[in-house]
Amino acid sequence: MSAGKILVVDDDPQIRRVMKATLVGHNYEVIEARTGEDALEKAPQEMPNLVLLDMNMPGMGGLETCRALRAGSDIPVIILSVRNSEKDKVAALDAGADDYVTKPFSIEELLARIRAALRRSSPESGPQAFHSEDLEIDFQSRRVHARGKDVRLTPKEFELLRYLVAHAGKPVTHRELLQAVWGPDYGDEPEYLRVFINQVRKKIEANPAKPKYIVTEPWVGYRFAGPTEG
Amino acid sequence: MKALKIGLSVLAVAAVLALYSAVHVNNTTVALSLLLAILAISARWGLSEATVASVAAVLGFNYWFLPPVGTLTIQDPQNWVALLVFLATAVTASQLSARARRRAAEAEARRTEIERLYALVQSMMLSGNARKTIREFVHTVVRVFGCRAAALYYRSTGEFFRSGPESNVVTDHELLAAAEIESVSVDSDRGVALAPVRLGLRPLGSMTLIGRLPSEQTVCAIVNLIALTIERARAIEEASHAEAARQGEVLKSALLDSLAHDIKTPLTSIKAAVTSLLSSSDHSERELLTIINEETDRLNQLAAEVIEMARIEAGKLHLEKGPVVVAELISGALADLAPAIQHRPVKVRVPDGLPAAEADHDFAMQVVKHFVENALKYTAEDSPIDISAELKSGRIVIGVADRGPGIEENERVRIFEKFYRGRRHRFDTKGTGMGLAIAKGIVEAHGERIWVESEPGQGAAFYFSLASSSGAGHT
Repeated sequence: MSAGKILVVDDDPQIRRVMKATLVGHNYEVIEARTGEDALEKAPQEMPNLVLLDMNMPGMGGLETCRALRAGSDIPVIILSVRNSEKDKVAALDAGADDYVTKPFSIEELLARIRAALRRSSPESGPQAFHSEDLEIDFQSRRVHARGKDVRLTPKEFELLRYLVAHAGKPVTHRELLQAVWGPDYGDEPEYLRVFINQVRKKIEANPAKPKYIVTEPWVGYRFAGPTEG
Repeated sequence: MKALKIGLSVLAVAAVLALYSAVHVNNTTVALSLLLAILAISARWGLSEATVASVAAVLGFNYWFLPPVGTLTIQDPQNWVALLVFLATAVTASQLSARARRRAAEAEARRTEIERLYALVQSMMLSGNARKTIREFVHTVVRVFGCRAAALYYRSTGEFFRSGPESNVVTDHELLAAAEIESVSVDSDRGVALAPVRLGLRPLGSMTLIGRLPSEQTVCAIVNLIALTIERARAIEEASHAEAARQGEVLKSALLDSLAHDIKTPLTSIKAAVTSLLSSSDHSERELLTIINEETDRLNQLAAEVIEMARIEAGKLHLEKGPVVVAELISGALADLAPAIQHRPVKVRVPDGLPAAEADHDFAMQVVKHFVENALKYTAEDSPIDISAELKSGRIVIGVADRGPGIEENERVRIFEKFYRGRRHRFDTKGTGMGLAIAKGIVEAHGERIWVESEPGQGAAFYFSLASSSGAGHT
């Protein structure tokens, strides 16, 4: 049985070749796309479980492709790039990517990232639901209803929210949160949290600049403030 | 032409005299009528015609009307007075009228010149090329002012711009000389005006007009105009050079980026392939594959540092400064070096309440990384590394200390030079020899200081300073 279907988007044919050989060797099914436009065409047809997206491509480029993919689905996206600055990572996460891997990478690292992106906690563990006057979360059906509207969260955003709610009232450190949501190999990517927390706040908070639910704990991490705390 | 006018003036006086000989009126009427005729003549033609007419009128009046009629003698002394008054009045009135006429003509000429100057200003095309602008200007002056020729000497290139061969009346030598003098010279006999072209006190060259000359003031206005035009064209030229230089820099930066991309792309394939093989290889192959993997990393590091160094040397570091939490800076650097420092005793001392630094996060972290890498390179595998940060006279000083062999005093400056390696380690150390040079480039781009303190035999401590951020905070 296949471990999942992965869409590899890169303009370099050698990289596509090596990815295909390796990923197929690890039981993944691989579809290739040469450009962002190509990827956008193939994604709805092939319904992959994950997209590996090169950031620097001719044509529409990785970031724009990521935004376009995000507009239509919550499929996990990992951006691959030769650039290593925090600015580029944040730009990628802001565009909706779940993770960012710097080229060149070892295949173990990439496989770990792929597993982390595909991993979802089982719905049985953790809280089942959360209710307050302007926020309802059903963890079973993965539905979020904020201020009278249905809100769509990407899987990583959803996991983040679930972990915070499960530890409502207690501060959760950056490292703990990163490892819980992304996986045990993570912990030194505070910029991931900054971007994702901002995105979740935008979706569930009435005023994201003055969050009521996801509160920053200076120097420590974040805390979900339950309704009892007002 | 003049003679005809004088003849006609005399004829007009004669006509008045003839009219009053036929129709009998008193002498005062005759005199006033003559005066009127003279005024009309002076208003129409000018002073000389009016003066001739005045003399003719006096003679005629005396001969035909003042007793004894028919002679040029005067009996009554009162009539002498009347005649002299008449002459004085006629001449004065003529003069006044002629002056008014001249003024009007001058005003008209001035108006035409101003119109032409205006036309000149309007026809000045704004181009970003001083030489082209001057060439056009010379031709436009000839066309607008209707002179025969014009020429301009442009000092900064030493060129002479001539409207045509007619302008050779004025030699290059004369133009060169004119550029050095202060004033405008108008030689109307030769039909040559020569003027220096200056902007304030700065001589730009000189200009000559040949043929029909405008007034001296207009010549001044023309040369002032060309001075301003040259200056403006030069400013545009310089601005476009600056723009070209800026675009060159942008291109250089883009080239460096694409170079980084082009080198790293094949490395990515190699690294992915070799790590994939490594994960499934048996023992016999493992050693060789590990070498490929490690050397791929080394090549990648080398490419990154070469490009970084090129960027620093091209002045292309784009710092994005903001408040940076020093503890995060250090932990981030250590996380990046994780495999290498796994078995090292690394101690980090950052005092509580240390304000945030004002720096570019990524670059500042690289400096820490280069310091730690340097310590790793030159010390034994179990030798401890101490990382510290403290506030010293308003600046944040971050240091990385090792217990290695230390650095001789004469090498302490040179170690920050590109490709320099400590004397004792010249042949036995991996790396590009650029780490500290890159660190120095980054710190200097921040406008901060980088230095090393060392007790040979005891170890070395590398430091750099960062500004402390006033709005320190963490969210």
